[in-house]
Amino acid sequence: MDELILAVEECDLNTSSVCAPTDVAELFEFREALFTIGGFPVTRTVFLMSLAALIVIALLFFGLRRKRLVPGRFQASIEALLGFVRDEVAVGIIGPEGIRYYPYLAALFLFILIGNAFEVTPFINFPITSRMALPLFLALLTWVIFIVAGLRRQGLGYVGHIIWPPGVPVFLKPLVGIIEFFSIFFVRPFSLAVRLFANLVAGHVMLSILLVTALVSLTSLGDISLIKSLFGFAWWALALAIYLFEVIVILLQAYIFTLLSAVYIETSLHPEH
Amino acid sequence: MEAISGSLALIGYGLAAIGPGVGIGIIAGNAVQAMARQPEAAGMVRTTMFLGIAFTEALALIGFVLFFLA
Repeated sequence: MDELILAVEECDLNTSSVCAPTDVAELFEFREALFTIGGFPVTRTVFLMSLAALIVIALLFFGLRRKRLVPGRFQASIEALLGFVRDEVAVGIIGPEGIRYYPYLAALFLFILIGNAFEVTPFINFPITSRMALPLFLALLTWVIFIVAGLRRQGLGYVGHIIWPPGVPVFLKPLVGIIEFFSIFFVRPFSLAVRLFANLVAGHVMLSILLVTALVSLTSLGDISLIKSLFGFAWWALALAIYLFEVIVILLQAYIFTLLSAVYIETSLHPEH
Repeated sequence: MEAISGSLALIGYGLAAIGPGVGIGIIAGNAVQAMARQPEAAGMVRTTMFLGIAFTEALALIGFVLFFLA
């Protein structure tokens, strides 16, 4: 058991109440690669990302393979998921033109959902979106897409309307223009990435610390007092409650990322709102 | 009196989480009120509520990330 959980080794419950590392950066250490393909190290994050992509492809492939008019259970559930993204997010937010962006939004939603779901799957317990590279990349994808959509729809008037907004009193135009410019071009992708990343990393770190503390306090009965040892059950119960909460957070964060991507595309295409 | 030791970053995050906490409460409360007044609009209200919650929660999460950076 100790080889599987590295944090168990250096945890001393006589000095600290939870098994937290003294240096916070230890929680984000770079683990060694599982194997190397021609000089490219395949870490567990890379492996899990590929696994998430394969799972999404497999879900869609097997769910929509034999399209019967009256769908079976699996096909109905996949259709419900995709229909939800289309009706609530793509077409619901962007309007009839949203169907062009629907493949991107559906792929985004499913990939983030499966990637987040790795946090609660039993032997994996590591959400791939808890490493900043993936949320940052997805936010940059959305950023490029909504900027290009705006530029194609309005030409250079897109940037012009942001910096010099119509419908604002003249003496406020520079101020609102600067605020809008930074908000649209910098705050949006950054906040999109940080929102997903921080939600997932918070849940992962909390679960790790609480569960390791529970394990160490329950197994080291001889070294620490009985009260402290039995308190491990309280940590375990709290970890269970947070586990259930994380299931909600997983769904919510995937939905919110997709929803905000659709909203940003919509405001690029229809600036009059 | 002994010196109080601890982490300033933790206090910073705690202060940063007050605002979004109140804000999300206001958003959700108004959303519940709107859904009670007009149940037909519940779908649209729910979507807008999620949107508002996402924006205000982002500020608390930026504080959380900066806690790790400090």
